Formats: sequence, structure tokens, C-alpha cells
Amino acid sequence: MGLEASSSPSSLKPYAADDTCPMGTGGATKPEARFAILTRFHAGYFRISLALSGQALLWRTLSDSSTDPRPLARSLPSAAFLLLWSLALLALLALCALYAARCLLRFPAVRAEFRHHVAMNYLFAPWISWLLLLQSTPFLRPDAPLYHLLWWAFSLPILVLDVKIYGQWFTRGRKFLSMVANPASHITIIGNLVTARAAAKMGWHEAAVAIFSVGAAHYLVLFVTLYQRFLGSDSLPAMLRPVFFLFFAAPSMASLAWDAISSSFDTGCKMLFFLSLFLFASLVSRPTLFKRAMRRFSVAWWAYSFPLTVLALAAAEYAREVREAAANVLMLALAVLSVAVTLALMVFTALRTGDLLPHDDPFDCPLLAPPLVR
Amino acid sequence: MAISIAVRDCQAVLRPNWCFLIGMEFSSKDVQMPGLQSKQSSKEALPALLIQVPSQTIAGFDCVGADATVSLNELDKEGQQGSGTTGNKDIVISIPAAPASAPRAAAPGHAYDDAQIPYSISLSMPSSPSGFHLSQFRESAVRRDESRVAPTVAGTGFDVHQAEQQQVEVPSPQLLKQTRFHSQPILHTSKNVDEARRCDNTRDKRFDPFKTFSGRLERQLSNLRGRPQEPIDAASPESKISEEETDQVPAADRYFDALEGPELDTLRATEVPVLPKDEKWPFLLRFPISAFGMCLGVSSQAILWKTLALAPPTAFLHVSPVVNHVLWYVALALMVLVSSIYLLKVVFYFEAVRREFYHPVRANFFFAPWIACLFLVLGAPRLVAEMHHGVWYALMAPIFCLELKIYGQWMSGGQQRLSKVANPSNHLSIVGNFVGALLGAKMGLREGPIFFFAVGLAHYMVLFVTLYQRLPTNVTLPKELHPVFFLFVAAPSVASMAWAKINGNFDTGARIAYFIALFLYMSLAVRINFFRGFRFSLAWWAYTFPMTGASIATITYAAEVTNMLTRALSIGLSGISTVTVAGLLVTTVFHAFVLRDLFPNDVSIAITRRKPKFSKILAHFRSSSTDMKELVLSFSKPSQSDSGETDRSVTGVREEP
Repeated sequence: MGLEASSSPSSLKPYAADDTCPMGTGGATKPEARFAILTRFHAGYFRISLALSGQALLWRTLSDSSTDPRPLARSLPSAAFLLLWSLALLALLALCALYAARCLLRFPAVRAEFRHHVAMNYLFAPWISWLLLLQSTPFLRPDAPLYHLLWWAFSLPILVLDVKIYGQWFTRGRKFLSMVANPASHITIIGNLVTARAAAKMGWHEAAVAIFSVGAAHYLVLFVTLYQRFLGSDSLPAMLRPVFFLFFAAPSMASLAWDAISSSFDTGCKMLFFLSLFLFASLVSRPTLFKRAMRRFSVAWWAYSFPLTVLALAAAEYAREVREAAANVLMLALAVLSVAVTLALMVFTALRTGDLLPHDDPFDCPLLAPPLVR
Repeated sequence: MAISIAVRDCQAVLRPNWCFLIGMEFSSKDVQMPGLQSKQSSKEALPALLIQVPSQTIAGFDCVGADATVSLNELDKEGQQGSGTTGNKDIVISIPAAPASAPRAAAPGHAYDDAQIPYSISLSMPSSPSGFHLSQFRESAVRRDESRVAPTVAGTGFDVHQAEQQQVEVPSPQLLKQTRFHSQPILHTSKNVDEARRCDNTRDKRFDPFKTFSGRLERQLSNLRGRPQEPIDAASPESKISEEETDQVPAADRYFDALEGPELDTLRATEVPVLPKDEKWPFLLRFPISAFGMCLGVSSQAILWKTLALAPPTAFLHVSPVVNHVLWYVALALMVLVSSIYLLKVVFYFEAVRREFYHPVRANFFFAPWIACLFLVLGAPRLVAEMHHGVWYALMAPIFCLELKIYGQWMSGGQQRLSKVANPSNHLSIVGNFVGALLGAKMGLREGPIFFFAVGLAHYMVLFVTLYQRLPTNVTLPKELHPVFFLFVAAPSVASMAWAKINGNFDTGARIAYFIALFLYMSLAVRINFFRGFRFSLAWWAYTFPMTGASIATITYAAEVTNMLTRALSIGLSGISTVTVAGLLVTTVFHAFVLRDLFPNDVSIAITRRKPKFSKILAHFRSSSTDMKELVLSFSKPSQSDSGETDRSVTGVREEP
């Protein structure tokens, strides 16, 4: 990968830099330049916050020495975790601020995004990121009232979006599932599962089961639909192929959620985790699928990170349950892989900030792409 | 099949079925097949009405045969003339049906203008997506008509279209919707026919493309010895064609286009096989992967008799374990035999194996050897729990790799997407998971069986839903009941046993799976039609093991819930499966030693990579006389599947928003 003409020197916090760039230069440049950035920004950038929050949760889980007396857990410095957590928080705050500005100034674009079959799924992403950050927060116990309040604040939008989107799947004429289903739809499922897991951590068993069952039912439908691959639903551009990794994020997340609900990593959890592992192997063994997406760096690359992180999280839970050498090795390998991928993505983002906001992002202009609903 | 015929002067409205018969007559005459002239007698079999009416109302109709003895070369010339004068690419083979005064070289344009000709029949044979159609129309008329009517019949249809001086078209409204196929020029027909006869005198090279060590190696060797290399062009054109054809495996769509039948094992009449069709191929080329179905059937019987001998609910039968031993050794010997033959095929005819692997139905049979090995281990006379765990890992590794390949193809959505290839035989690729989980759990493993059970369950759900949906894009799903449907029973019954073993008792989950299997079995059994009208194939052996699996699951269930009903059910189902296997054995022996057609030519591996040009089809018909009859028969059978397919391709699954 040639590193030509990197627009900004390597900064440690590319997202913050990304964020401060328009803000800092906003006073100097003309308003339309800033607006152009807002136009090109879209919900797909929440992949970055999703990946970082997932990493934070992974580090939290790995360093959680209270339940896991292993040498690896001790060796992880807590300062690194704190740094990662604050980095994720900062990135998420910046992205949310940008998106809020976009909502205010570019409302038609946001509306078009909401109607786009790929983009609308990423509206779940900020809330998922917040929930993941909440679960990995070092400052709050799950039984604190503030934690409950924040859970309500972050899960209500997810539930509202659920009602809207799942309702569309089977009622709206042109948006039924066989037409709009694409791998990014897994994010809607993951939203439910993350909410369920957070609720189970708080001790709200019934709410957790309720939300989990909604997610599981729709996951079943979505899984079958996506596997069938109707001719009509082949609507994911090649640049967005990394989103395929979400295929194995959903069962991993389901296994984590069920683990939290049933408070033991039972056979159901294992089956979900193994399914996830198989899907991971199946995707990794066909690199040609991703070749076209790997030609140029884009924000879609960030989609690799979050599923790997969730898989590593499930592997950590599995290793905690099974306590075999093979399970530990698996957990370690997946964790290292996910950390390495995330680090590489951070480096790429830092080196190629110019590519991060391209003018021809296939995902970018939902106004130009014909929206499915007129 | 829709046929539009307009005959103005006789005012006769011919009904489609006879029009079709007329089409048969003409096609058999003017293509002038050697050996088909003798089939004129078939004309006598026609009902009198069909002969009389046309001959009375259409002048000169019945005497076409005398005039239409135009050789193919002439036809070709005429066609080229016609295309030369009009500049259109269509080749219209035109047969002047008028008395001898009509000009012989009646190009389509002349035929139209000449007032003396009451009508003329000409054949335009384009390379339409699924076959060729005979149609007759003038160039200009085509131009004019194209705006109004697509002069073809859906799919493989004849369009016998009799025109008169004034073009009279009464297009039926449904024709308007159908696709339009454009003719392509016929090139080198005569040359091809000539060269097809030329035989390679030194060695039979027609099977070379499928051989692993083919003539190329020999040529290189002779080159090394200093002999001048014979020019490659000297090889017969067929082998040249097939060499280019077999460079690459046909795409999945080609398999669907070129083959038909529930197991995709019969060539469509419009296709030309790469290999010679009339003679027997080498045995290894005829040996399909589905022969492993025999191993599946026999080894599952061994497990059944082992269970019968050991399980408590059937202990009162006092089945001797000797039966299990005998069956197991027979199964082992069969497995060794079949795998060694297939290994030979892998070594000597790797190309054929590769083509089998890309066949949408056969690919699933590549799981069969490993499943049969798992069955052998399960049915082994010694205790399974004492076996080495390495056996399980060694057997599951290839299954895992195959699953990565097959399920990955479904998911990543190339041409082998599930909504297209879904077929009951896909169950073979699912069952391996459950059998592996059962064996692993019996061996005392814990995590591995759960892994395969999870993978199998997830993909089983997908496949089950897809098969039940019967999507319009699923071309291969048989319309009627076929033995392949018994594979539906296999997965849930084995899954129930596997889950019971994993969990340690026959709990609710296992019962749910078992009852699903039982229901599917019943719903198939009440529809049994004794499978009339299906050609026996070796693959049927693979369809017996689901019955055996269901009976073993019933015995397992009866061990948990022991009463009269469950005992009767287990004995009944075991009896049915044993009788079925015995019957199949008799049939196989009958086919092998009496009819000697147990291994017919395996045409499904010999399809061309691209759609054959019409010239090749024609040359192929010339070389083999029986094909025309088949072709005609295949048209006379209502080609619902074809027309349906075309309809679908027209209306499209994709609905643009």
C-alpha cells in the first residue's frame, strides 16, 4: 500500500484531528466548505466509534481480573485501557457532534439516509457505541442509578428504530425484507442484543429476555434471507464488502447476551459462538470477496474491526467457561487479531485522512443513489 | 407452447397441437436426417383428421417431402444468399413448397414475392438461450413484425409459421410478452460435418481432455525422443473443441441450462455433449460420485442392526450381532471398492472429477464418502467410546473444508447462490454435521460435537426454509415426488440423536427434532406413488439412509418412552428401511447384470462450457440418428419448465423500485 501524499502528518488521535480539522478551519474557510464536509459525512462513520467502543469493552473484559485470575489479565496495564476508553469516548462525542450538525444543516440528506437500505442500519451504530462504552465504563457500577438512566437514554432510540425498521420489513410494500436485506442489516440485530446484554448486566432479567427474543426472532429471519441471496437483494456495492464481517458479529453478540442472561456460558452460548467461528472461517477463506474493497482505503474498512472484537469477546467468555488450552489459544489469537486490525485501521486513518472523506464514496450520497422509497 | 399460424386462403384456423405435428413433419423432412426417412411411418400413426385437413386445405402441403429434399449444403448456400441480399444476420433455411416450377434457390425474399408459391416453409435456427426454434418469416416481414410480435416461442419451441403472399399475422397476445431471439449465422456447417467423420486413425483422442495424463504429455515425450511433433491442428475438430471447452469448468448457470431432471443428469435435447454420445465411455468416466450412496445405504443398515441387537426396547427380538458384523464387513468392502475406483478416477480423469464438483447436485455427494466413513465408525462391531479421538478429527477435517467451500458459495452469492441451487440433495451437506456430532458425542468429546451441531443447525434452518419456500429461482427442485425428497427426513432424525447424545438424555430438544423427522416421514409416506416413471440411478442408494436414520432415532426414542406404540413403530420403520434396501439391492443387481446399464454415460460431466452453436447441434444430429426423435419428443412433452423459466427471465425476479 503506497503511502503517498498523506494530507496530515501522523496524529495520535485521527478522529479528534478529523473532527478538529473542520472545526478549527471553520472560521477561516467559507461556509460551503464546511457544509461540504457535512454533506459528505454520513452515519457510516459511526463504524469508527463502534470499533473503538468494542475494543474498550474487550480490554475491559480481558483485564477484568476479579473473575479471571490469569496471567494475561494481570499483565494488561490499566492505563492503556483508560486511554482507549477515553479515546473511544472522544471519537464518539466528535462523531455525534458532527452528525447532530448534519441533522440541523442537512436534514434532507439525513432523511434520505434514513430511507436508504444500507445507511439506515448505521443509525443504530451511535447508540450501540454508547451502550458498549457504558458497559465498559470504569467509573460506574451496573447498579448505579446513573447507569440505569443512561441505559434508558441509549436503548430507547434503539427500540424506536426497531419498531420502525422491523415494521417496515413486513408491512411496507417496497421495503420488505427480501429487497432491503443486506449484511449491514445485522446492525439492527446487534443493537437489540447489546441492549439485552446491558439490561442483563443491570439485573433486569425480564427486559433482557424480552429484547433478546425480539432480536433473536428477527435474526433468524434475516439469517435465512441473507443466506438465500435473492437476485433482487444483491444491493451492496463492492466497496462495502467488509460489512460482510457483520455476519459473524451477530451470533457472537447473541452468545454474549445469552451468557449475560443465563449467567453461564451454556450450550446455547457455545453453539452461537461456534456458528460465529464457522462463519468467520468461511469469510476468511474467500479473500476474493474483499479484493475490490481493499484497493483503496475507505471508512468501510472500519467494518472489519468491530465483528472481530465481538468474536474475541465471545472467545474470552468461552475460554473462561471451558478452561482448556485450546480455548485459551483461540481467545488469545482472536484478541490479538482484533487489536492488530484496529491498530492498523487507526494507522491507516491517520495516514490517509484524505481518503476518509472521498468524493465518490458509494455509501455517501444516498440522494444520488435512488432511495428505495420514493 | 404457443404457435401462431396464419393461413389466409384456406381460412382454417389450425389448432396448436396439430400445428405442432406439422412442424414435426417438416422438421424431419427438410433437415433431412439420415435414418429419419424411415420414420415416415410415424405419419401413419397420426389421427386421420390431422392428415386430412391440412392436405385438403393447404395446397401442396403433403408433397413437400418430394420437393424439400434439399441437401443441407444447398440450404446453407441459400441461407447465405438470403443473408447476403438482405444484409441481415438471420439465416432462413427456406423450402419452397410449391410445385417444381418454383425457383429452387428461393431466397426468403423471393419466396415472399413470388406469387406462384402458395406458401413456403423456412427454418430459422438461431441460438436462442434454450434451444432452437423453427420459424419462417421474411426478412422485411420480420422487421415489420418485430414491432408487433416476437416471432418465437418461449424456450425450446417450434414456431411453424406459414405465411402467404400477404403477410398475415394474428399474434396471440401472450406472444407479445415473450422474449425475442435473434438468429445467428450458421457457419461451416458442411465443413464441420465433413470433419466430424474424419476419425483419428492412430488413437482415440476424444477422451483426452478429461484425462489427467493426456496426449500433451505423450507429445512432449515424443518430442524429447526427437520425433517431429505432429501439428496440433491435425487433431480432429471435436477434440479441439473439447480442449478449449474443458480448459475451464462450465459455470453453474450452464449446468442449469444444459441439464434437466431432478438430479440434473439428463442432457437437454438441444445440447451437444463434449464426449461422443452413442458409444460407451471408459468405465471410470461413467463412474459417478453418487456411487458412494451405496456405501451410505449399507453402512447405515449396519448401524441399524447394531442398534436392534443392543437397544433395550428391541431386546425381545433377540437379533444376533452377527447380522451387524456381516453387514459391517460388506459395507467396509464396498467402501474400499468404491473409493479405490473413485481414486482411480481422480488420478486418471481429474477433469471429470472437477466437473462433478462444480455440478450443483453432484457437489453434495462429495460429502457422501466421509459420511459413509462416519457411519462405518458408528456401526463398528467394537464399542465406539473406546476408539481413538484422532479418527473423529481425521474424518471431520475434510467435511469442515467442504463445508467452508459449499456454504461459503451459498453466502457469498456467486452463481451458486442458495436461492438458485437449493435442492433436496443439499441435505447431504448438512447431515454430515449431525452425524459427526453424534459420533463425537459417542466418543466422549464435548466441544467439537457442539461446534458441528451448531453449524449444522444454522444451515439446516436456512436450507429447510429455502426448500419449503420453493422459490421461483430454484430450477432444480423436482416438480413431483422423487426419492430425493427422503433426504428431508435425514437431518432432523440424526440431529435428534446427536442432541440426545450431546445433552446426555433424550430431552425436549431431541424430541422436537425427532417429531419433525417423523412428521416429514409420514407426509412423504402418504404421498408414495411408488415413484413411477423415474429412471433408476445409483444415487437412489443415498436416499435410503434417511429411512434407516429415522428408524434408529425411533429406537432411541423408544428406549426413552417404552410402550407398545413406540416399539411397534420402531420395528415397523426398521422393517420398511430393510425392505427398501433389499429391494434396491435387487434392482441394482438387475441393472448391473441383466440390463448392464448400471453405469450409463454420465452426460452431466460432458456439457459444453458455452452454449453450443447451432451448427454443432446440427452436426451432432447428423452424426447420431436417434437424437432427432429425442428432440421431437422433448418438444412434444410440455416444456413447462422451459417456458416457465423464460417467463421468469422476462418478468424478472428483480422488481425495480
